[in-house]
Amino acid sequence: MTTKRVILITGTSRGIGHTMAEYFLARGDVVCGCSRAPATIQHADYSHFELDVSDEAGVVKMVRAVERQHHRIDVMLNNAGIASMNHALLSTAATARTIFATNFLGTFLFCREAAKIMVRQKSGRIVNFATVATPLRLEGESLYAASKAAVESFTQVLARELGPTGITVNAVGPTPVPTDLIKNVPKEKMDALLARQAIRRFGSTEDVINAVEFFISPRSSFITGQTLYLGGVNG
Amino acid sequence: MSSKSEITLEKIRSVVVNTLPGPVAGETLFGPGGALDSLGLVSYLADLEIRIGEEFGRELVLASEQAMSRSRSPFRTVTALTEYINELLAQ
Repeated sequence: MTTKRVILITGTSRGIGHTMAEYFLARGDVVCGCSRAPATIQHADYSHFELDVSDEAGVVKMVRAVERQHHRIDVMLNNAGIASMNHALLSTAATARTIFATNFLGTFLFCREAAKIMVRQKSGRIVNFATVATPLRLEGESLYAASKAAVESFTQVLARELGPTGITVNAVGPTPVPTDLIKNVPKEKMDALLARQAIRRFGSTEDVINAVEFFISPRSSFITGQTLYLGGVNG
Repeated sequence: MSSKSEITLEKIRSVVVNTLPGPVAGETLFGPGGALDSLGLVSYLADLEIRIGEEFGRELVLASEQAMSRSRSPFRTVTALTEYINELLAQ
């Protein structure tokens, strides 16, 4: 059985998830990642699962495979997410379903399955991914913001349900980070968004990792049910 | 690990009982007079899913639509849970 931390990260094929996986591997952790695409990381301590995070059977299979191999899960990072920029009146039901399936249902399934393992070990850290689009009520991002609002609400209730078990559940709310997620958003929209932050710049993956590190630190055992927005955005 | 043909109610019952956190006086697991409180049941079912995987090689989710839609909870007694798991394993 490994003595390294075992960290599950969803959405590791690219973007923030990919960078976080490489970061924790460099720190000496074991990382188990997943995405719909094949692995983009080759490392002795990395294992990859190709799945859709909204597929219950796939999620159950992955989490239990990790438990069988490593006998525990220390950290669960629910990073996988998709966005869609469109006026609400021009958005389709199919888009709404897809966004909620990945952003909310995926988060719910991984929280549920990882927490089952964490309850047994009486410890664990879960960090979900929210967004500043929710508190900023960004026009054109109604579905994305709503799906992440669901994640925030779920985070708060789950934190209470798991409070007695030694598991903490928190969320980090990044500002826009230059990744594929926002590559199709017009520049003027981005500039307007950045203008509403206290610190008016794009976020970096390092900013996100810093917040994640804070939540998963052994010293953060008394911090749960919180959403930490970056860039000086208030909830 | 047992093959499908070797899975018997007796084996399932044994896993159900042996996964319990401690000795249970009666049959009742959850509900009035039950051995487990809400959090105890959550923890127990999580353990049980893992043990079922180890014993029978199947990844079950016990708190499924089937379980939740029943008028009588399959988690109320050792016998009810044993029969419910048998149903799931037979699918």
